[in-house]
Amino acid sequence: MPPIVSITLFLPLAGALAILAWPKAPARAVHGIGIAAAAGTLIGALAMWGRGVSAAGFAQVEQIEWIPSIGAAYRVGVDGISLPLVLLTAVLFLLAFVYAANLRQQPRAFVALGLLLETAAIGTFTALDAILFYVFFEVSLVSMYFMIAGWGHEERQRAALMFFLYTLLGSLPLLLAILGLYLGSPEPSFDMRAWIADPPLAGAAATWALVAMLITFAVKIPAIPVHTWLPAAHVQAPTVGSVILAGVMLKFGTYGLVRFALQMTPDAFRDAGLIILALGVVSALYGAFAALAQTDLKRLVAYTSINHMGYVIVGVAVAALALDPGVRAIALDGAVLQMVSHGLVTGALFFLVGMLQDRTHTREMGEFGGLLKTVPALGWSFVLAAFASLGLPGLAHFPAEFQVFLATLRVEPVAVIVVLGIAITAGVYLKALRETFLGEDRPRWQGLPDLSLREWLALAPLLALTVAVGVAPSWLLDVIHRTTAALAL
Amino acid sequence: MARDLSLLIPEIAVLLTAVGALSAEMLRAPRAALAIAVGGLLVATGLSWPLLGTDTTVFGGSFRIDALSVWAKLILLPATALCLLLARVDVRGTAREGTVYSLLCFATLGALALAGAGDAMFLVLGTLLTGLATFALVAYPDSDAATEAAMKFFVFASVTGAIMIFGLSYWFGAAGSTLLAELAGVEDMPLAVILGLIAVVVGLGYKASLVPFHFWAPDAYEGAPVSVAAYLSVVPKVGALFAFAQVVRDLPADSGWAPVMAGLAVVTMTYGYLAALVQDNAVRLLAYSSIAQSGYFLLGIVAVGTSALALPSLIVFAAAYAAMNLGAFAVVAGAGRTLDALAGLGRARPWIGVAMVIFLISLVGIPPLGGFVGKFLLFAAAIDAHYTWLAVVAIANSVLSLAVYLRIVVPMYRRVETAGATFPGQGAWIGVVTWVAFVATLAIGLAAQLILAGPMA
Repeated sequence: MPPIVSITLFLPLAGALAILAWPKAPARAVHGIGIAAAAGTLIGALAMWGRGVSAAGFAQVEQIEWIPSIGAAYRVGVDGISLPLVLLTAVLFLLAFVYAANLRQQPRAFVALGLLLETAAIGTFTALDAILFYVFFEVSLVSMYFMIAGWGHEERQRAALMFFLYTLLGSLPLLLAILGLYLGSPEPSFDMRAWIADPPLAGAAATWALVAMLITFAVKIPAIPVHTWLPAAHVQAPTVGSVILAGVMLKFGTYGLVRFALQMTPDAFRDAGLIILALGVVSALYGAFAALAQTDLKRLVAYTSINHMGYVIVGVAVAALALDPGVRAIALDGAVLQMVSHGLVTGALFFLVGMLQDRTHTREMGEFGGLLKTVPALGWSFVLAAFASLGLPGLAHFPAEFQVFLATLRVEPVAVIVVLGIAITAGVYLKALRETFLGEDRPRWQGLPDLSLREWLALAPLLALTVAVGVAPSWLLDVIHRTTAALAL
Repeated sequence: MARDLSLLIPEIAVLLTAVGALSAEMLRAPRAALAIAVGGLLVATGLSWPLLGTDTTVFGGSFRIDALSVWAKLILLPATALCLLLARVDVRGTAREGTVYSLLCFATLGALALAGAGDAMFLVLGTLLTGLATFALVAYPDSDAATEAAMKFFVFASVTGAIMIFGLSYWFGAAGSTLLAELAGVEDMPLAVILGLIAVVVGLGYKASLVPFHFWAPDAYEGAPVSVAAYLSVVPKVGALFAFAQVVRDLPADSGWAPVMAGLAVVTMTYGYLAALVQDNAVRLLAYSSIAQSGYFLLGIVAVGTSALALPSLIVFAAAYAAMNLGAFAVVAGAGRTLDALAGLGRARPWIGVAMVIFLISLVGIPPLGGFVGKFLLFAAAIDAHYTWLAVVAIANSVLSLAVYLRIVVPMYRRVETAGATFPGQGAWIGVVTWVAFVATLAIGLAAQLILAGPMA
């Protein structure tokens, strides 16, 4: 058996090194290497999908010794929670490299950073060793910092600095929690499987570890009140940066919430379940209301991300509170599916906003109008993605949010107030569609080109997957459910 | 006697190297002096390898051959060799070039004496030997700034040294011996132990540039050649910090040294980074950064005796710190002393830029680099010793440090027309030092096991 997980994990890094080793590479070759490496990674991820997951813990585990003196090892593997996220990561990165194929400003550095980021992202989802997880978690931070600082828009330096400081401040508490779990475990080891099977901390120590982890993951998700870096970073980031940031990196937070907080300190999580649930409800509603107040299209999409990730928090909290394993599985199924759906839909939306900005050099909704007639393909794509984002049945978010709400109703009916968020996001997107694509067409936008082949290639797979997940989510849910149904908390 | 001397072969080799370099200088052969110094130190490093795993003392317990002192040799001797190469760029063609190489070797010998000290007299000897050699090194350029820096350094060292010797006399009085190991038996005279401890904190604290004994450091670094500043920030400092560990492991636990060290750690880290935030001179910024980094070392020292991770964490962090700090100084030595001189460097010299970014984020403690593994182990040691709050403060300071180091990174990627014109300009040695430090910073992060296998086995 070839070590498919490791190959998939390090293929992007190999691509990055190849680019660095070829100093005079022409831009076309650089983009070619980037796309080839990302395509190879997607093939690897599909092979992992083919080998599947097991109901009894982690599958496809590969490990070698790393720092045996302290019990740290290179351990990777997947389960039904991480495998869909690996696939999502591979898809989004490939499309991002396709979209960025026309970039001529320092393409070598850009593609190399992007590939480094892809390895970091897949590593974060597949790591089964806490140190390894932390390493990938932080490496992604550094690459994203340079991506925003180097290729962002007007105020990129400030936004990049804010992003880096905020998330570093956020991630260091996780280090404390990891050290606490390590020092509390019976054998000195950073093996996450052991920590999940037999949570090493109890009582006050577990509560403190949970608090530290919640700080880290709340910043990353982001949840109220530590979300303020997100709109700034998104608005200034280049389009590809936004797609990756929203599509992949926000999932580090929700994935960590399940993998670390829920699975490694389950009792403390259950005790704090109502507080975390409230956090999710407030985040979801706040994100929706804040989106309503935006005039900048990119900021608007950024705020709806806070709303969607709020539903994930609600799903995880409900899973912790649920006494019936069946309900818990429904809640977690919804939460994990919501992560994937958000990656697909928000990825598409950020691509579309980027395409609009490339053409018009503005993101202000007030300046657009009637674009559906000028650029019909772009316009209708946006309509589809916007409807998906507001939770229309038949599109990707619906099955996810439906399951989250269903479980919420069973466990904590009051919290179903969060459904209001859907109504508000509907308002948000209808307003955005009206101002941008409907209404009077303006002379200054006459003659805008519609989608190019490169843009179609980046966009079409996301839209197709959005429909596929919405109409027939079972191919994803089956994999997710194998793990969530067997999860003992 | 023969056994004792055979265990000291590396130190003897360093001494012979220093004398050899001096002799070459007397023959007016500075290049030979450099070759002897670098070669001799590398030979001494090789001679230290077989001692790994030894845990004994020589000369009646006055000098220790243990993990700390052996790793001090394995870290500080190559670090000194790198400083010699940097110094070549600074002092090439000056009147007494060879003396610089010889003095660097003598100062390193002093640092090694500190790192293995088992006797109060070795603390004094080591402090004086590094002190005398480094005063001369700082003053070497013969400029007003260098003379002033050396003068400050000298006065500060004299006062703190006098206080330390005075305080050590209390220990001698209480224990009836200058051996540090005898202090463990002192029970009925806690005041004498505490007075002695305060004096040692002053004496070694100056050498390790802990706040509030750090005032000399930024001025001395700024006045001295960059290579000497790099040297001061690594070799005497690591020697003094290892000496702290050697001292506190014999102190009675109830003498309250651990909270004192924890307090010093907090003040040193926080003040160092806050002061670094407002510097415009890259050397001064790195000087304050190295002050702050001393505070991180203290996390490991606080845990000495209570956590098995204490000594490994000190050793790994010392190795990582030597690599990343020398690397950062090497880039500054090549580009220029001001932050403006670094502007555009990352665009003009992409690989040097990458190396500098790696050094700086390693200093922050971002994985998978050496600085991360070192700090990770230090945090673990502190938490294991029930100083979780100290680890929390250290982590908060790591965020502050990011703001400090980004002050160098951000201008490096600014668009500047004349960027990098001067780098490396004055010689290929800077490039060699940069690459060695770069590889070491990465390797210590990815293969920390190679170091940990020693002390923990």
